[in-house]
Amino acid sequence: MARLQLKNVNKRWGSFVGVDNFDLDIADQEFLVLLGPSGCGKSTTMRMIAGLEDVTDGEIWLGDRMVNDLEPKDRDISMVFQSYGLYPNLSVYENIRFPLRVRKVPKEKHHEMVMKAVEMVELADFMDRRPAELSGGQRQRVALGRAIVRKPTVFLMDEPLSNLDAKLRVSTRAQIKNLQSKLKTTTVYVTHDQIEAMTLADRVVVMNRGRIQQVGTPTEIYDWPANTFVASFIGSPAMNLVEGRLDGGTFTGDGIRVEGLPTATSGKVTLGFRAEDAEIVPEGGEIAAPMYSIELLGEASMITWRLGGALVSVKTAKDFRAEIGDTVRARIPARICHLFDTATGQRIDTK
Amino acid sequence: MSDLANRKPLPLALLSAVFVLCWLVIAAFPFLWTMWGSFKVEGDFFSRADWMNAITGPVTERQYGSPFTLAGYEGAWVQQEFWRAVVNTAIVTVFVVLISLTLGTLGGYALARSGFRYTFWLLMAALVFRAMPHVTLVSGYLLPFFQLNVWGYLPTTIIVLVAINQPFTLWMLHSFFLSIPKDLDEAAMVDGCTRFQAFRLAIIPVMWPGVVTTGLFSFLLAYNDFTVTSMLLSQENATMIPKINSFLGSTQEEGKVMYAVAAVVSAIVPLFVLILFFQRQIVSGLTAGAVKG
Ligand SMILES: Nc1ncnc2c1ncn2[C@@H]1O[C@H](COP(=O)(O)OP(=O)(O)OP(=O)(O)O)[C@@H](O)[C@H]1O
Ligand SMILES: [Mg+2]
Repeated sequence: MARLQLKNVNKRWGSFVGVDNFDLDIADQEFLVLLGPSGCGKSTTMRMIAGLEDVTDGEIWLGDRMVNDLEPKDRDISMVFQSYGLYPNLSVYENIRFPLRVRKVPKEKHHEMVMKAVEMVELADFMDRRPAELSGGQRQRVALGRAIVRKPTVFLMDEPLSNLDAKLRVSTRAQIKNLQSKLKTTTVYVTHDQIEAMTLADRVVVMNRGRIQQVGTPTEIYDWPANTFVASFIGSPAMNLVEGRLDGGTFTGDGIRVEGLPTATSGKVTLGFRAEDAEIVPEGGEIAAPMYSIELLGEASMITWRLGGALVSVKTAKDFRAEIGDTVRARIPARICHLFDTATGQRIDTK
Repeated sequence: MSDLANRKPLPLALLSAVFVLCWLVIAAFPFLWTMWGSFKVEGDFFSRADWMNAITGPVTERQYGSPFTLAGYEGAWVQQEFWRAVVNTAIVTVFVVLISLTLGTLGGYALARSGFRYTFWLLMAALVFRAMPHVTLVSGYLLPFFQLNVWGYLPTTIIVLVAINQPFTLWMLHSFFLSIPKDLDEAAMVDGCTRFQAFRLAIIPVMWPGVVTTGLFSFLLAYNDFTVTSMLLSQENATMIPKINSFLGSTQEEGKVMYAVAAVVSAIVPLFVLILFFQRQIVSGLTAGAVKG
């Protein structure tokens, strides 16, 4: 158990920047999720923490030790790999015992420790099987079991659920959350699935192109995206973003006009709001434009317009009916709106 | 259920059985013929009167009172001390296999896990050396070996054979290591292994089919080699193949050809045993390669 600090960590391959100035302080027992699109440097960051990748620049501190130059085995961490990394020649039991064997834990303790881990990941029935004789979800749990069999200072998990089907993903996700709260071990978890990030994390780090975009609790990230990237990445559907002009608190764009925005800035801005915060109205409203499409989601319907090149959606009751091309109106109250600088993408604070 | 699925129509089954049988006879015939003939005398096996003599053996019967004789074997093993050649071959093959595999696994692993670009050129260079006829290498070695006074000894031959064999083992094992996911070493290292322990505890156990297959090919190269051993070994250090060749070369003396025939049979038998013994590993090593997590 330890605090994990990354101080201005950089990773470059030649002129290519994989991770750019990553600076983060992870508290003891925290569940931190690294979230970002494919190729944004999540795995690279995690592998640098594990010691599998050299740090080009910066420092990594584990507790009160600077670990930059330590071998992976000396960092006292355990890691769950995206592709499991199980030893194909060993049984489930031996796979889970492997870390104890190589770390020279006294032999007489092995059985008890392995059995405890096996029970936690519910694999008691499969102990004598080889990894090849297990399903993806079971293999996943073996990898988890191997990570928790000893008490490391930090858990690292690299997209541990990406190979599971949707249903298994939900149950394993709950299992991981439960395990972590029992074991109280600092955890860094990598995913590109925002729902996983939202449900598991104490804090989420949103990354893009090797840079941290925003750090915050899931609620903060959802309610106060720091820039247009985070706004468009978090939430499903993602936040609607419309470009336009701001003048004296009034935003004007193609087919949309919002008044009473509490800000003094003016110029080119991007207005954002979430589909579920707005509502369809018969008269008036801030949006009045021909409908582009209607999608039935089951519990609701999604109305979409095309405003100045961007698609803008609003959720409404499932019995709403309109033809494509009809003018449909929506109310976008100023309090649900987020403003971003169009040039930099950064949030313009309205408070 | 699987029986039902595997059942073939009768004519097809018959046809394939006949085909396999024919194939077996054609493939095995030369060997069986030689083996049978090795228990005869030269007058029968190389009979000019009637080829059937090689089967029935009338001359053998006249000379030794039975259609079978161990005279060829006795001559080769006892009189001509073929056992020396067998011992030499054993020494050469064992060391060639051991050294090739040690260097090959370590080197192949290092090349497979190294991210640098020189690995490609190293492997290309290895391929070029492998493609050269052995005799070009050996003729280059001869003079320095004479001058250094190391010509004729087994260790010299072992080193040369390892050098010839190494490119192949390196290639073969390199591609085996490539097929083993990097995650496996990395998982082992995070679990507490040093780089070398990860290699020994996590990689080698899943590498066995590859090591066995490569080892077998190395064995065959050393066992069957003629060019190198015949040019680099003195008479008393000769291995089996050059020895057999020398039997065949001296046809003036009656019966010596039969020594060669007996020696050939003696040299083939270990190969059969070996292949029967390792056939499962060889097949899995040749076909699988990839290791599924
Ligand atoms: N050895 C390497 N040499 C050069 N570039 C690399 C190397 N490894 C990774 N990269 C690059 O670094 C970037 C970040 O890679 P990384 O594996 O961290 O992505 P990721 O965020 O984990 O993505 P994913 O969600 O697809 O796993 C990628 O653009 C990748 O191409
Ligand atoms: Mg990744």
